[in-house]
Amino acid sequence: MIPHRVLLAALLGLASGAPGSPLLAQEARDPATLAIAYPRNPGSAVPTLWGADIANREVSDLMFLRLADLGPELRTVGDKGFVPRLARKWERRDPLTLVFELDPRARWQDGTPVTAADVVFGFERARNPRYTPRVATVLTRVRSFAAEGDRRVVVKFAEKYSEQMYDATYHALPLPAHLLAAIPPESLSSSAFVSNPVGNGPYRWVRRVPDQLVELAADTGFFLGKPQVRRILFLNAAAAEARANLILSGTADASDNIYSFPNPARLEKLPAYQYYPVPTLELIYISFNFRDPADTSRPHPILTDQAVRHALVLATDRVTISRATYGPFVRSPGAPVSPILGRALDVPPTPPYDTLAAIRLLESRGWIDHDGDGVRDKDGKPLQLRINVPSQANSRVVMATRLQEAYRSLGIELQLDVIDGSVWTARRQAGQFDLDFAGGSQDPAPSGLTQSWSCAGIGGANMSHYCDPKVDTLIARAVRADNGAVVWRDALRQIADDYPAILMAALTNTYVVNRRFQNVTLRPGSPWANVWQWKVATP
Amino acid sequence: MTWLLGRVASAIITYLMATTLIFFLMRLTPGDPLSRLSEDRPMPAEARQHLLELYGTDLPLTVQYRRFLRAAFAGSLGGSIAQGGRPVTTLIAERIPATLLLGTTALALNFIFGIWLGVWQARRHGTPADQWASVLSLTAYATPAFWLGLALIWLFGVELRLLPTGFMHDPLLPMNAGPWERTGDLVRHLILPAATLSLATIGATARYQRAAMIDALELGCVRTARVKGLPEGAVLWRHAWRNALGPMLALFGLWLPLLVAGSVFVESIFSWPGLGTLAWEGIGTRDYPVIMGVALLVSAAVVGGSLMADLLHRWLDPRLRTA
Amino acid sequence: MSAAPEGWRVVWDNPGGRAGIVILALLLAIAILAPPFLPNPRAMPDLGRTSLQSPGPGHWLGTDRDNRDVLSRVVGGARVSLAVAVGAVALSVSVGALVGMLAGYSGGWVDTVLMRLVDSALAVPRLFLLLIMVAIMERIPLPVLILVLGATGWFGTSRLVRAEVLRLRALDFVHAAEALGASRRHIAFRHLLPNVAGPLAAATTLAVGDVILLEAGLSFLGLGVQPPTPSWGGMILEAQPYLATAPWTSLAPGIAVVLTVLAVNLVGEAMHRAYTSERL
Repeated sequence: MIPHRVLLAALLGLASGAPGSPLLAQEARDPATLAIAYPRNPGSAVPTLWGADIANREVSDLMFLRLADLGPELRTVGDKGFVPRLARKWERRDPLTLVFELDPRARWQDGTPVTAADVVFGFERARNPRYTPRVATVLTRVRSFAAEGDRRVVVKFAEKYSEQMYDATYHALPLPAHLLAAIPPESLSSSAFVSNPVGNGPYRWVRRVPDQLVELAADTGFFLGKPQVRRILFLNAAAAEARANLILSGTADASDNIYSFPNPARLEKLPAYQYYPVPTLELIYISFNFRDPADTSRPHPILTDQAVRHALVLATDRVTISRATYGPFVRSPGAPVSPILGRALDVPPTPPYDTLAAIRLLESRGWIDHDGDGVRDKDGKPLQLRINVPSQANSRVVMATRLQEAYRSLGIELQLDVIDGSVWTARRQAGQFDLDFAGGSQDPAPSGLTQSWSCAGIGGANMSHYCDPKVDTLIARAVRADNGAVVWRDALRQIADDYPAILMAALTNTYVVNRRFQNVTLRPGSPWANVWQWKVATP
Repeated sequence: MTWLLGRVASAIITYLMATTLIFFLMRLTPGDPLSRLSEDRPMPAEARQHLLELYGTDLPLTVQYRRFLRAAFAGSLGGSIAQGGRPVTTLIAERIPATLLLGTTALALNFIFGIWLGVWQARRHGTPADQWASVLSLTAYATPAFWLGLALIWLFGVELRLLPTGFMHDPLLPMNAGPWERTGDLVRHLILPAATLSLATIGATARYQRAAMIDALELGCVRTARVKGLPEGAVLWRHAWRNALGPMLALFGLWLPLLVAGSVFVESIFSWPGLGTLAWEGIGTRDYPVIMGVALLVSAAVVGGSLMADLLHRWLDPRLRTA
Repeated sequence: MSAAPEGWRVVWDNPGGRAGIVILALLLAIAILAPPFLPNPRAMPDLGRTSLQSPGPGHWLGTDRDNRDVLSRVVGGARVSLAVAVGAVALSVSVGALVGMLAGYSGGWVDTVLMRLVDSALAVPRLFLLLIMVAIMERIPLPVLILVLGATGWFGTSRLVRAEVLRLRALDFVHAAEALGASRRHIAFRHLLPNVAGPLAAATTLAVGDVILLEAGLSFLGLGVQPPTPSWGGMILEAQPYLATAPWTSLAPGIAVVLTVLAVNLVGEAMHRAYTSERL
């Protein structure tokens, strides 16, 4: 029997590694390495293989360049304001044609120059609805990509519209034709290229340890400038607690939105880190169902009354509740517009938090507590509403609980249905809810509003059957007028007056990055895309 | 032996029954994998059609089941719906080593310390030492594993910075690190998750062992051995403990599936790349191929564990062979 | 071998058992009688301005992240957690013991069929069962939750009891009783059952802790009790991110759970002792 003490000593000796080495390798770490505490597990960074996974896109943005990137204003309208990347310059030949000149210095990471053929190849692969349905639907108005020589790409459109430049550059990325032309699209996901992709961006792929990390290394010959950050590690920690611990222990240098972690207070005011607010395209809102959940052919018994909806909006202290959950930079908008979209549009003001006005409205419509049970009623029916919340969205569950308590004092009975995500989606799509606590990512272009907030959207993303023909007309006019801000204002005002939802929060994320990194910019929608421009302060 | 053949045969039948049951139950649960893929944007009809063809989720259940069986016998478990078609066998193969490592370590620690503690307590049955040990082990058992894990991470990872807060390997370990360094690194990362998993269940092992040992120590044959003047160690382990084995074997059979199933909570807070989190995500996204793949594995472990426990019990206790 | 003595008398005589019963009774009494004297467990005063107050006058166990009084929530949670613990455990331990005894004593094909059924049941994740129930009923009422937790929790106990019965069956006293012509039922209930008191007591104690925490995990998925109804396990889960900054939010319900488990343990121990000493 080996004495316990000896065993323990041996174990400890092994655990401390070879004699002389530091207890944790982090202490000997190279300052030019960026370790990011990342919530997702990137599977494939290859364009056209992203699927619905944001993680794939974010890693891809470091490896594969577009012809041109959206400018810091994120304007998708017009031809100006875009930042040259693979394309050195572009010009318009006629209202239906754009011509791009490629930068002669652009190279694939195996040395081969990037040619027009690669751009055309990437487009052809992206527009196939069988394999990339999301991208294909967006590219319906792009007629063709054609190569004129090695360095020139001619893009033709089916009609005249203001977002041609955006459509030509944002969705379909050039792919290395010399490596992929021989691989048919259906075999791409199982090909060797996926485990060792060759890109043309500032970083090259090093390795992926499944569900642990993805490592990228700087391409020292990158034609737009050698990156100072030499290595990037995406540390996959799906649990919020695990990511918080990575930051608190100093293992990770950066992390996504600290307000997506429960108890964000412990991550505020860390001396070694700097905080960066970044606007997003995300909106958190509570939709009102305009149909009866028990029988969707009938209108909703309580919520079709616009005064009741208005009262509920007034009764919700949106600002306090959402700031307590999402941090100080969050706004509660007056119309369903995310912070990024809100920069380009004239958004109506936020309705106030006024419980007295809410009570007056409810009472004026006959909702009075006749039987003294604490809940208002009308014609014998109580003011009882059920809200569906997906259990995985912890922040929404917390907000719903607070809302429930706040409404109780006003005589509104809110019942919480915290349900499993899949069941929540199923009920949402079937219209089985009174209130639905939803969150979504908007398009950067205002025309995306038709999907959720117009009659045309019913059967698609408009789950609540909100339909106001006036809104549809105004939106159509705004889209025709090349997305003029003034025309959108009328549409947004009309939506606001209809009170189709309680707009809880237009999210601004707060990222955290170790102070030794400077010149830090975080791109909304793809925060780590600009890492190649960051500087590292040497101690 | 006819008993052995019969037992193995019934194990196989059980396995088939269990997996079939899971297959049908899974498809009866509300929610489907494709609607999740189109959560906030409607999926174009063509894309939906393509996915339906690929995964066949709208076919009648019996047809789906036949397809599944045919593919399984050919060695394929299908492609993960949520992960864009990646083969399920690859996904499982990627994660099994980590789960096996953690599971084996935790199970070994659990049984070694649990048995020792149970016997130790039984010998001092009724004394304050026994009672305090009970309080401590029950407190550890009644503490949720994730709470224990987070407390350990906070203490050793954040406050004292002695151990890593998660993962299986140090991401910054240089490529040219030698085998000793790599093993040391692995052990360092294994300590906290294994401690969490085993601390949570040691209480149970000790409890059952203690109860069984108390009964065993009262047996006639044990008293005889003592009277004969045999050393205490021999009395304890060779005579008494052999009679207290029953529950331990049953527990072993019950906990063997943990080796492959993994623990979701522990794996997620330690970012341990195991099967537990794969199964969990699979259930959450209704990713049928992944769920079935893991289910096949876990069911095999359950059935196999039960078989092993019965076999061991029979081998160790000749009296049972006449049954 | 004498017959089993009258149950509770034995436990009461044992000092440990007495302590256990008293603790459980006290918990029950507090759960039923205390709420009118405590602040409203649902109230969130000063929403957004303060929360996570440390224990002090006014809030003897502090407040949680929504500034709700922790003491009243622990007392409120006793209702759900004790009901679940007692109900589900009683069900699962009784069924487990019965099945285990039946399988172990009968042997043959009864044993085989029962144990293979247990194997199949163990292989199916509890989660699926519960998700299906959600599809059938919109919300799961507490009695149904208790029933389901109890009905899905007996498998392990049956295997452990069976192992013990297999061992006992080979002992002389059983042979003697059989030779004397005692019916199998008599042997099972009068002789075998008291002697599996050991593992049964252990199983009961452990099941209590298990079930409380399981209920919490279910709430997390939306399958347990819905907010604002508190439960101990749910509180522990919610308090997880505040471990370092506000430990009272998890310690208070955690200690309640541990107390319950220890109390049940004391009672179980007393029963075990009683039956062992009787056997001599």
